[in-house]
Parts: sequence; C-alpha cells; structure tokens
Amino acid sequence: MSDTTSSSSTLIGRIGGLSMLALAIAYGIGGSRIEYAFASDPLGPRVVPVLLAIILTVLCLFYLKSPGTAEAFPRGQLLVRIVAVPLLLLASALLLEPAGFAASIFLLTAGVGWIFGAPLRLALIGAAGQALLWWSVFSYLLDVYLPAGRLFG
Amino acid sequence: MNLDYLWNGFTVALTMQNLLIGLAGCFIGTLVGALPAIGPINGIALLIPIAYTMGLPAESTMILLAAVYCGAEYGGRISSILLNVPGDAGAVMTALDGNPMARQGRAGEALMLSGLSSFVGGVFGAVGLALFAPLLAGLAIGFGPAEYFVLMVFAFATLGSMVGSQPVKTLIGCTLGLMLATVGLDATSGAYRFTFNEPELGDGIEFVVLVIGLFSVSEALLILEHQASGVSVIRELGRMTARLDDIRKSVGATLRGSVIGFIVGVLPGTGASVSSAVSYTTEKRISDTEGTFGKGDVRGLAAPEAANNATACGAFVPMLTLGVPGSGTTAVMLGALMLYNIQPGPMLITERPEVVGGLVASLFVGNILLLLLNLPLVNIFARVLTVPNWLLVPGILVLSIVGVYSTHASVFSILLMLGIGMIGWLLRKAGFDMAPIILGFVLGHVMEVNLRNALAISGGDISILFQSKISIILWILAGAMAFMPLILGWRRTRAAKAVQAS
Repeated sequence: MSDTTSSSSTLIGRIGGLSMLALAIAYGIGGSRIEYAFASDPLGPRVVPVLLAIILTVLCLFYLKSPGTAEAFPRGQLLVRIVAVPLLLLASALLLEPAGFAASIFLLTAGVGWIFGAPLRLALIGAAGQALLWWSVFSYLLDVYLPAGRLFG
Repeated sequence: MNLDYLWNGFTVALTMQNLLIGLAGCFIGTLVGALPAIGPINGIALLIPIAYTMGLPAESTMILLAAVYCGAEYGGRISSILLNVPGDAGAVMTALDGNPMARQGRAGEALMLSGLSSFVGGVFGAVGLALFAPLLAGLAIGFGPAEYFVLMVFAFATLGSMVGSQPVKTLIGCTLGLMLATVGLDATSGAYRFTFNEPELGDGIEFVVLVIGLFSVSEALLILEHQASGVSVIRELGRMTARLDDIRKSVGATLRGSVIGFIVGVLPGTGASVSSAVSYTTEKRISDTEGTFGKGDVRGLAAPEAANNATACGAFVPMLTLGVPGSGTTAVMLGALMLYNIQPGPMLITERPEVVGGLVASLFVGNILLLLLNLPLVNIFARVLTVPNWLLVPGILVLSIVGVYSTHASVFSILLMLGIGMIGWLLRKAGFDMAPIILGFVLGHVMEVNLRNALAISGGDISILFQSKISIILWILAGAMAFMPLILGWRRTRAAKAVQAS
C-alpha cells in the first residue's frame, strides 16, 4: 500500500518537474526573443531571463532525478470540493463589478462556508453577516473603495 | 556607537497614532498567531494593501506589520499549548512541553510562563537589533553594485543550505521568484518582458497579488484538504499565574533561547522554526538530566518561546541594514517597503531614520504591549481557537479579494491572484516552500539592476564581480554555504555505506 502511494507521489513529482522544465525552456525561448530598441548596459534585457532559464533547467534535471516526497492528490468528493473553491472565487471576482461587493462576497462566503462543512442555513446566515460586516468595515470605517455594483446602483 | 536614530525612533513610535496602530497590530498579530489556519505571513500579506490604501505613512505601516509579526510569535504558543497544533511554524517546539503541561491541568501556568519567556526573548532581540543594525550598516556602506549582486547570491546560497530538507526545491523556488520578477517593463531598455500584450502586466506582477495568492488562496485549499478532525481544545486553564519556582528554573533556558534565537534570526533565510528547534534541542542536551523534557518541563517550554521571539527581531537586522530578509515574513515586509518606493540597504538608517528608528523603537513598545495584552487577555485569545473553519476561511478569502482589489481596483489582479494561488497549492503539495519564491521575487529586480549596473561600469567585463575583497569573501561564503549540504550528505551516505559493509 505504502509502495503504491510513494510511487504515485513520485509520479506526481516527475510530472511537476517536467512541467517546470517545459516552463524553463519556454521562458528561455521567450527571453531570447525579447524585442528592444536600445540598451544602456552591455547585458540588455535578454541575458538575465536566458540565464535564469538555464539555471531552472539544470535545477529541474536534479529535481527529476529524485523528486522526493509529494502529498497524494485528493480524489472523489474532496477533489470536487477543492475544485469548487477556486470556481467560487472566480465567480465572485467576475461578479464583483457588475453585482457589487456585498452580493459577490455573499456568494463566496456562503458557498465556501458550505463546502467547509457548515449546514446550509448556517452558511447563509454566516455569509449575510460577513457581507454586512466587511462592507461596513471597509467602506465606512477604513474608507477603502469597493464597487457597489452596476446592477443595483 | 551612535544610537540617535533609536531615540528619535521613540518619538515616532510613541505618537498617539502609532501607539494605537501598534496596539491594533499586537492584537491582530496575537489572533493571527493563535489561529492555526493563518500564520504571520498571511496576516501581514492581507494587511499591507489595506494599510497602503488607507494612506498610512511608511513608518506607521512598518510599525503595524512589525507588531503583527511579533504578536504572531506570541500568539502561536496559545494553540500549541491548548490544541497541540502549532499556531505558526515557530511554535512547533512549544507544543512538546506546553501541551503536556496543559494536560496536567497547568494550561494557565504554561501560557503565563511562555508569555514571560516570549517577552524576554522579544526584548533581547530588540536590544540586539538596536545595537547591531548601525554596526552592520556601517560595514556595508562601501558596497557598490558588484558587491550588492554578490551579496544577493550569498543570500540565496544560505537559503538553499538552510531551508528545508531538499535544497533543490528551495533553489527552484528562488529561481521561480526571480523569473516572476522579470515580468513587466524593463526600465533600462524600455522593453516589455513576458507581458503577453496585457497592459495590466506592464508594471510587472503586483507584489501583493503574488503574496496573497501564494499564501492565502493556497492555504485555504490546504486547510480544506487537511481539515482537522478530533482536535480538542483544552478549556480548563487552571491557575493563571506562573509559579516563582518555575520562573527561577527557566531563567537560564530563556536567556540561552534568546541568544540562539537572535543569532539564527540574523542569518539570512532562516526563520523561527529553525531557531526554536535549535534552542529546544540545545536546552534538552544541557538541562534534561532527569528525562523530563517532553513531559511538561518548563525549561522545554521557555527556551523555544524565547527563541522564536528573539528571531523575529533578529530577522530585521539583515533586512534593514543590507536589504536581505532574514526570514519569509521579513521578505514580505521588504516588499511592503518597496511599495513605498523605499529601497532597503545600508543607507536606509541615514536616509530614512524615522522608518528604521520608528520600527526598532516600536519593537520595544510592542513587546511591552504584547505582554500586557497576552497575560490578562489570554482567555479571550484562547476562545478564538473555537471559531469554526467555515467562518474563518471565507473571511480570509474576502480579505484576500479586498486586499488585491483595493490597490488597483482591477478584477484582473484577482484573477491573477487566483491563478498564482492554484499554482502555489500544487507546489506546496509537491513539498515546495513558498518563502524562497517571495525572496526571489523581492530581490530579483534589485539583483538584476545591480548586475547590469556593475557590468555597465566595467564596460561588460565580468571580472568586476570578483575584484573587491568584499566580493571575494562573499563568493567564498556563498560557495561554502551552497556546497556544505552536498558535502555533509555525501559524508553521511559514505558513513552509512561503511556501517552496512561492516
């Protein structure tokens, strides 16, 4: 059992290492093609990115040789809950300007609260409380600009 | 030694506004430290944009952030003792003897005694900082661009050898941070680098977006994954004063812990988790003659608590004098200074004495405030531990959104934070530490500018990086730091093989 877990975590480490290697190569190629009209120093804007790409490539090769231990990936219901949190963040970010801070925060806190195991009713009450609390703290107490929303405003 | 900057600093730290800001910071810091879900970096990352948009001057922001940092080191002990779950990385060792004390019905005594040790460690660290900072800044005053570049190389080398069990991961983290720092307009050539024609990336990736993404968003996902079950808070605190006998017994441990903590704090790249571990194991070796460590020995509680608070202050020495952070949290604070267009370095004490002096003086004031807050109010802080994650985590996410949105009023920043948070989560699952990325990002721009300036001075001759005595010493130190773990690892494998063969 432990063998399967460690081999799957090594596999995850290898996939991660290969992705970073791909990133290093892409970054290096991108860096070598930076266009510029003038440079007031002998290095110019390209050399440092290319150097960094080479360093990352070498480090990735070392890493791929022994990726060490990685945590097992979540599966099943937990994976669904984990994916739901960034989706809720995405939704509330996109709703922030059209629907306003209070509505988008209500959606976020109710959804995330529910995902974290609160009964739906409590999650909704908690979310209403948080939306009210944060809106008053930031807009009135700390004078931080937050959108009121085009739909309602 | 000229300590004028410190006396002037007290006039800054003792204004009514800064006292109130310091008090608020101490309170927030203790809360942040006590809650296992958020550590000092998250607390500071969330406060930076809010302080900035509120228009606080640089010195007040620094006082606020330093108070949060020190407060978190005090607060971390509360959940270590009552929950056996460290509130922050520096409090891991506190649980070893603190929690057994609590189980014996001596939670109140453990909290009081560790509060006193924290205070001694904190004040010792502040005195060390006040004395050392001008000395080190004086030494570094002859640094030119070449020396600065080598200093940064040295900082990365120490980080690789000291943080974590896998130096390769730390170095990859640093490189990723350096790469992220290259995004945006290159001031010397006017070229846009890695902006993908996105105007919002023209100024580069916002520091706040990166820190909040890496620490808060990824943290929320990790909390969900590891949602603790069956952890029980010890509610019976018992007697709420420390016994005189115990105080007497722990004086030596507290002082030794303070010294170790300060020294480890000054070294770049090492934080409170290293210092508390070193001080605990040292104290165990020196004092544990009866085998009582780990079973509720007050010395095992006092040493790491004093150490992690002394480390918090020690970490400011390289940050304020050389512009090289001593820990992950000071790396974030360095980023905050840069938001105010303040470039840390040896000239900081002379150019911005109010910021350095105010910060150092506020550490003295802050430690007194923290002691006053932590002894009588420990009951209230202990109750915070019962706030459920379903209220806490959405709150952290709301603060993340507000923090990122408030600096530039742009939804793009929130989306970028989300993307960075997801990548951070994957990296953390693969065992990467986030602090090196922040360090690389914060130092990346300065490092590149100094390298290019040095080569502009020499007309492209790379030997300028090896010319001065300071540079050569720093290269040797960096080399020693980088290769030490490899040599030690090789010797260990050889010894293991020899044992196997025999």
